[in-house]
Amino acid sequence: MRLIPIYFFVNSLVLLAADTSYFKDVRPILQKQCQGCHQPSMKSSDLDLTSFVALGQGGKHGPAFSPGKPDDSLIVKYVNGSLQPRMPLGLPALPPEQVAVIRNWIIDGAKDDTPLTTISNKPSVYIQPPVITALRFSPDGAQLAVSGNREILIHKADGSALLHRLSGKAERILSLAYSKDGNLLIAGGGTPAQFGEVQIWNPKSGEMLRSATLTTDTVFGASLSPDASKIAVGCADNTVHVLDAATGKELYKIGNHENWVLATVFGADSKRLVSASRDNAAKLIDASSGAFLENINLLRGELTSIARHPSKDLVVLGGAERYPYIYLMDRPKNMKIADDTTLVRKMERQDGAIFALDWSPDGKRIAVAGAAPDVNLYDPDTGLKLASCTGHAAGIYSAAFSPDGAKLATGGFDGKVRIYDAASCRLLTSFVPVPISAAALTAGGTQ
Amino acid sequence: MRLAPLLVSLSIAAVWAAEAPVTFLRDVAPILNKVGCTSGPCHGAAKGKNGFKLSLRGYDPQFDYEALLYDLNGRRFNRAEPARSLMLSKPAQEVPHGGGLRLEKDSAYYRIIENWIAQGVPFGDPAKDAVASLEVEPKEIAMPQPGQSAQVKVTARFLDGQTRNVTGEATVESNTPDLARIEEGSKVKGERTGEATLLVRYQGKLTTIPVTILNPKPGFVWSKPAAYNYIVTLIDAKLEKVRIQPSPPADDATFLRRVGLDLTGQLPTPDEARAFLADPAPTKLKRTKWIDHLIGSPAFVDHWTTKWGDLLQSSRKYLGEKGTYGFREWIRASVAGNKPYDKMTRELLTSRGSSYDDPAANYFRVTRDPKPTMEKTTQVFLGVRMVCAQCHDHPFEKWTQNQYYQMAAFFSAVGLRPGYEVGEEILFDLRAGDDARNEMKHPKDSRLVPPEFLIASAHPVKIPSPQKRRDAFAEWLTSKENPFFAKAVANRVWSYFFGYGIIDPVDDIRASNPPVNPALLDALTKDLVDHNFDLQSLMRTIVSSRAYQSSYVTNEWNEKDATNFSHAMPRRLSAEPLMDAVASAAGARPRFPEVPLDTGADQLPDPHVGKDGFLDLFGRPSRESACECERRADLSLPQALNLVNGSTISDAVADPKGRVARAILAGKTEPALVEDLYLAALSRFPTKAESERAVEYLTGGPRAARAQDLLWALLNSKAFLYVY
Repeated sequence: MRLIPIYFFVNSLVLLAADTSYFKDVRPILQKQCQGCHQPSMKSSDLDLTSFVALGQGGKHGPAFSPGKPDDSLIVKYVNGSLQPRMPLGLPALPPEQVAVIRNWIIDGAKDDTPLTTISNKPSVYIQPPVITALRFSPDGAQLAVSGNREILIHKADGSALLHRLSGKAERILSLAYSKDGNLLIAGGGTPAQFGEVQIWNPKSGEMLRSATLTTDTVFGASLSPDASKIAVGCADNTVHVLDAATGKELYKIGNHENWVLATVFGADSKRLVSASRDNAAKLIDASSGAFLENINLLRGELTSIARHPSKDLVVLGGAERYPYIYLMDRPKNMKIADDTTLVRKMERQDGAIFALDWSPDGKRIAVAGAAPDVNLYDPDTGLKLASCTGHAAGIYSAAFSPDGAKLATGGFDGKVRIYDAASCRLLTSFVPVPISAAALTAGGTQ
Repeated sequence: MRLAPLLVSLSIAAVWAAEAPVTFLRDVAPILNKVGCTSGPCHGAAKGKNGFKLSLRGYDPQFDYEALLYDLNGRRFNRAEPARSLMLSKPAQEVPHGGGLRLEKDSAYYRIIENWIAQGVPFGDPAKDAVASLEVEPKEIAMPQPGQSAQVKVTARFLDGQTRNVTGEATVESNTPDLARIEEGSKVKGERTGEATLLVRYQGKLTTIPVTILNPKPGFVWSKPAAYNYIVTLIDAKLEKVRIQPSPPADDATFLRRVGLDLTGQLPTPDEARAFLADPAPTKLKRTKWIDHLIGSPAFVDHWTTKWGDLLQSSRKYLGEKGTYGFREWIRASVAGNKPYDKMTRELLTSRGSSYDDPAANYFRVTRDPKPTMEKTTQVFLGVRMVCAQCHDHPFEKWTQNQYYQMAAFFSAVGLRPGYEVGEEILFDLRAGDDARNEMKHPKDSRLVPPEFLIASAHPVKIPSPQKRRDAFAEWLTSKENPFFAKAVANRVWSYFFGYGIIDPVDDIRASNPPVNPALLDALTKDLVDHNFDLQSLMRTIVSSRAYQSSYVTNEWNEKDATNFSHAMPRRLSAEPLMDAVASAAGARPRFPEVPLDTGADQLPDPHVGKDGFLDLFGRPSRESACECERRADLSLPQALNLVNGSTISDAVADPKGRVARAILAGKTEPALVEDLYLAALSRFPTKAESERAVEYLTGGPRAARAQDLLWALLNSKAFLYVY
């Protein structure tokens, strides 16, 4: 704990005494003036100005600077207009003092003084409950994993006690998945507009086994194959990444969606997977090769969520259009465009966009939740509504059945976990999964 | 060191607790609009930007709230660490943002949003936190000369009665930026003499500020010209205020030509011109007599039948040939009988049954669906354009998307089915109790939208069952209390005689497009209503006014005026009158395909006849829309080339049975021939110099060819091509 501030202190003393700083002086200018276009997800002219390394690599016209020679440095030439088009493109020129900062830094040798990561692993202090974006029961039914801010909170399944806090780098945990044996807990998420992360935990010891960062935004809809060999995630760059669950290494990525991919699920035999996207499509993929097989649905609206039958290759999917659809995870090759015969069932329209779906472990119920504050339960065989679980104040982002199918946990905008009787929708308990202010302060004080 | 986080947390909590409550409606939404998040090129675009969509200019706060807070599982805010919320780190460029830096980290706006997230992102109470009205200071701006500046102050009054100075967040725009320029967001600078309107908008409310910049030239002395009727009194009141001296009345020949073209679309014949100019009766008396002669004449009926055919889109493209003739005859009978305008409108809107038996039913055959029918009806009869509100609340009016669908619902049950004869269709209203297919659905959530009037009337009209909805609509529409119905047509009719409306464009009436002379428009509206919607009476009043009869010649005080009716504005003859004028000046008989010989351009049934020819080149409307703008008054190079080289004029001039040929055969003397041609083309006698020059030309070579040249030159002159 003490080292970081001291590092800063020493660092700034050095800076005061000597050179223009990249981190303190140049980086803020680039951040405000240049990074809108020269960022990893846009890379205008192949140039990324969000890190020292990327700045050194430069873009398609070459390295952005040449140490000691400001007048030979592309960045100076572009901001002072001696190279056209003058940057920032279409906006007022940089004020002379900002150009001087960049020049001085180059004259001083263009050194990198970016400090090592400053994010601590200290648990978050909560003044308000954050939104709940993911929750999942452990396969033995004893525990409930709930998303927090930069952490996963492991509760007793009845909400009576907070057992572990698994702190990580990702600000948001958007999906959670246990392996069948309960030895692995997969978390997908990241920090919006910065990075995506897949975390692999031993939920019993609370130890992080592996972490993989990928893309420049959070990853969505992380899922673990039933044989626990592969992890699939959807990404904001329209790709699906599939990782090896044992090593966290990327096996392949798939780029055939045209918009953000928000949900994935593997088939019951782990041989295929389905990715669902804001481009309205749910795509069937061969899990061993990553080859695209077929679209499984007709395109109707942006898809946000998908869940599979516990043992059959049937998926329920939904999104902006508000109707949950059950589809076969198959689409014979000879089907024609607009043929919808693999549609098994269309359920009733919800009061708001669908954000979360789960299929009960006994296969008898489907939970549908979203922008409307109720969770509706349907019989997959008839499509009829069985019950409606009420109590949330606003949208619901996650719903999960307990392994015995008796309970349904939900969470969303209002930051409270609610656990219902899955047959009657009677509310069994509700609780805020994170420690709020006073408790958090105590925890901080005893560290 | 250990204490630091604890202290920081405590102090943050204390600060947040002490801050006044922040709500999305009252505090945050205006910031999103101000810094540009909701603008058209950014997240307000129809498809949003980079996966994030807001409503255009923030017209739908509920939608924006949900987009910010619910999309992608609440990705854009972080209650645990408010300052790390994406909705702050993006616009502050702490993480890369394609839209650039929008919020400085140390700005008040940033702090408001941060506090709002820390307070748990409350939406606010629409019954308290929404804006009730805007107040502006000053209410009008008058500058004695260009070069001055004025600061506008905008105060919002909320529904709970509280007020707030929102000058910094309101949008102030000028409708004439080269006259009144907006600087620093809310300061207005006078650039040149004239009038402009500022539009002030804040959170869906809008108000206007009129700006007048006077001519600083010394020596203005108001000399009160004679007033023929109330029109001039009201125009003069405005002119004196803005230091404009109107032009004197035009001479008899100019009047004769102008009033004939405007009322009937036809030039006076040489004989009519001779008789009128020779009539020794007092000017006012003989002009009144001539106006009475023209109004209701056969040419008058032709001319206004064409006009209404345009607005009602009478065209065989939609109606078939027989349907077009039927609809045209219905219009023609209405004009010829001077059917009161409200009655004519009611007949159109409540027509039922066979399109052959009740040709007014063709109104619904042109725009077959409820939405286009509603858009056309509001644009033609109310002068209100609802089309923007189909997708979002109207940006420059109070009309909402809801109202668009409520109004369309009046036509949602209207049906058409084939009749018994070829081309016949039966117009019907579906039975009550039919399923939801007959109702309008809101595009946002597919809920059924029941019909509701755009503006509640003084005597509430009950909306009956679906099969009587159109009757209720017609009753509401044509009511004397409807604030738009009479006003819209009074303004429209006015524009046909001056070239521009008191509100212009005439079919775009909205709060942000105010009348240049409200008293005048109100008086005309009242006049029309008092005369039971007698359009002929309104036209008579207008053309009898000194304003209408004033000269196009300007003086030093009104030369720049183009909006206050201080002088006549020359207008290019529109397509049909121009073609008829060529024929009548040259004494040639009009020949159009598919219609009898001698059918004039102003008598054609629809734009199918003579398609792609002279008429379309000169801007005849194709009747594809009900917009007044479809008739073009532009000037183009192809038009000029056609006049010089095209066959329309050269054939007419050289017609072997035409005016020149007949005069030559009759052995007219050169001076008589010249006088005849001048009267036929320009409705006036040639001046002495003109006559001498023309006679000299005629005697210098082959007489017939030279007379044709003279007529050709007259037809290519501005004095012929314009009404002035």
